[in-house]
Amino acid sequence: MSWLACELHTHTFHSDGKQSLSELAAGAKALGFDCIALTDHNTMTGLAGKEEVERENGISIIPGMEWTTFFGHMVTIGLDRYVDWRPVGPGDIHAGLAKVHEQGGIAGMAHPFRPGSPMCTGCYWEFEVSDWNDIDYIEVWSTTFAPVKNNNARAYRFWTDRLNEGYRLAATSGRDWHHQEPTDEPLSVTYLRLEDNDAPLRDRAIQALSSGRATVTLGPRLDLEISREGTTYGIGDVIPGLPESGQTFDQEHVSAVQLSAVQSSFVQVLATADFSVRSGHWELPEQTFTLKLDSNQGVLFEGSLLRDLPQITAEVPAEELKWLRAELWGIIHGVRTLIAFTNAVYFE
Amino acid sequence: MKTYLIDVQGQVTPCCSRSHIAYRFFLPRPGGKLCVDFAYGPKNLEDREKAKTLIEESVGLYVEEEFQEQAKARWESHLPLKNLITVSVDAPDGHRGAAHRHDPEQHLVISRDEASPGLEHGELFKGLWEVTLSVHAIVTDGCAYSLQIWQEEGDA
Ligand SMILES: [Zn+2]
Ligand SMILES: [Zn+2]
Repeated sequence: MSWLACELHTHTFHSDGKQSLSELAAGAKALGFDCIALTDHNTMTGLAGKEEVERENGISIIPGMEWTTFFGHMVTIGLDRYVDWRPVGPGDIHAGLAKVHEQGGIAGMAHPFRPGSPMCTGCYWEFEVSDWNDIDYIEVWSTTFAPVKNNNARAYRFWTDRLNEGYRLAATSGRDWHHQEPTDEPLSVTYLRLEDNDAPLRDRAIQALSSGRATVTLGPRLDLEISREGTTYGIGDVIPGLPESGQTFDQEHVSAVQLSAVQSSFVQVLATADFSVRSGHWELPEQTFTLKLDSNQGVLFEGSLLRDLPQITAEVPAEELKWLRAELWGIIHGVRTLIAFTNAVYFE
Repeated sequence: MKTYLIDVQGQVTPCCSRSHIAYRFFLPRPGGKLCVDFAYGPKNLEDREKAKTLIEESVGLYVEEEFQEQAKARWESHLPLKNLITVSVDAPDGHRGAAHRHDPEQHLVISRDEASPGLEHGELFKGLWEVTLSVHAIVTDGCAYSLQIWQEEGDA
C-alpha cells in the first residue's frame, strides 16, 4: 500500500475558477500534492489535455465534476461522462447517485453546511437522503484552515452522527480551490491509501476513497492500525464480529473460557503520526500533541504524542464498538484545534 | 451569413430562483459555428437594507443558532448579493457542457474544432438543440435577460 497526497476539490476557468488546468496542476505540485481531482461546476471540459498536463507537472488528475445544483453541491469523481444534474430535485438525489455509480463514479457532499442562497447559491445541502449508504463521502473540511470554521465543525459532527448510526461513510477535505493565490493559512490534505497493483492510479484512488482508506491533515499524516487475535486492520477495514459478543459475565463465577473471551474483546490500537510528509509545506510549533481515540462509545483513550515519539499504543474494549478513529489535537497557526483525523476502522 | 434561431427577451423574478428555462431550437444545417449571446441584469442587488434582510433570513436558515448573532453581525461581508443565471447546451447527440460563472454577459461559441470554456467542441449536427438557462438565484425584484442564438456558415 502507498499513500497519495490529494486535493479533491478544484476549479478552473472552465467554470468560475481563474486558472487553467496547467496552472492548477503546477500550483498543486509546488505545494507537495501528488494528485488533484478537477471538479468544475457542471462541466468537464476543463479536463481537455489532462494527460499532457499530468506529464508536464508530474501529478495525477482525477476527472470529476461538482454538481452545482439549487439544493446542494455534490462532488462526483472518477467518471468520464457527464451525468446530468439538472433533472434532480430535492427529493431525487438517490436517482442521481445511482447514475453516478453506474458510470463507476463516486459522490461526496461538498461543504454541506456552508450558508446557501443568496450568499452562495445552493451551497447548503438540502437534498433529502434516505439511505446514507448511497453517499460515498462527506467533505467535512472545506477551504483553508478548515478545522476552525464553524460550518466544518458542524460537518464533522454530522459525519460522526452518521458513523454512530452505523453507516460506513468516508470523510475528506477539499480546498474548493478557484485561483492561484498565496495563503499562509494551513492547507488540508486528504491522503488516500492505494493498493499496489497494476490498475490505473485513478481507479485505485477511487477504490481507496470509496473504501474509506483516507486520512485528513493540516500537517503530519495520521495512521491507525488495530490488531485483534493476531490480525491487523487498517483505516477503512471492517473487523469481523467477536464470537462471544453480547454475553454478559458474572464477576464471581467467570470460567477460564469466558475469561479468554473477555480478554479477546479488547483490541490493540497503534496510532502513528508521520511528521516527514510534505516536508517544508507546513509548520507546527514544538509542543506536546494530544492523541485521542474516538468512537461511537466516546473517547476511549487520550494520550500525549511528540514529534520525536510519534507513536501511541493502547488497548481498548471492543465491545459495542461500531467504529474507531484517531484524532490529533494541538496548536497550529496560533490556535488549539484538531490538526488531523483518520477515517474510521469499523467493527462488525 | 448569420441564421438566427432564437432571439428572446425575458424577465425573471425572485420566485424563478431554482428553476430552469429551456429553449429548444432546430438547427437546419450541420456544420459552421453555433453562437449564443446571453446577457442579464441587473447583476447586483444595490439596496443595502434589502440585502441585509435577505442575508439575515439566510443566516436564520443555514447557520446554527449559537452562531447566528455572529453571522448576522458580519452581514456586510456577503455584499454585494448577486443574481446568477448560467447557460448550458445540449446537442442532438448529447450534452455539450455549461458556462457556470458570474459574468452577466456571455458570448459563447461551439464549432467542430473549438468551443468557449465550459462547452465541448464537436460536430454541429442538424436537429433539435437545447439551451438551458439555470436560474440559480434572483435577488433583485426583477431581472431582465436576453438570449440570441444563431448559426454562422462555414468552418470556424
Ligand atoms: Zn460548491
Ligand atoms: Zn467548488
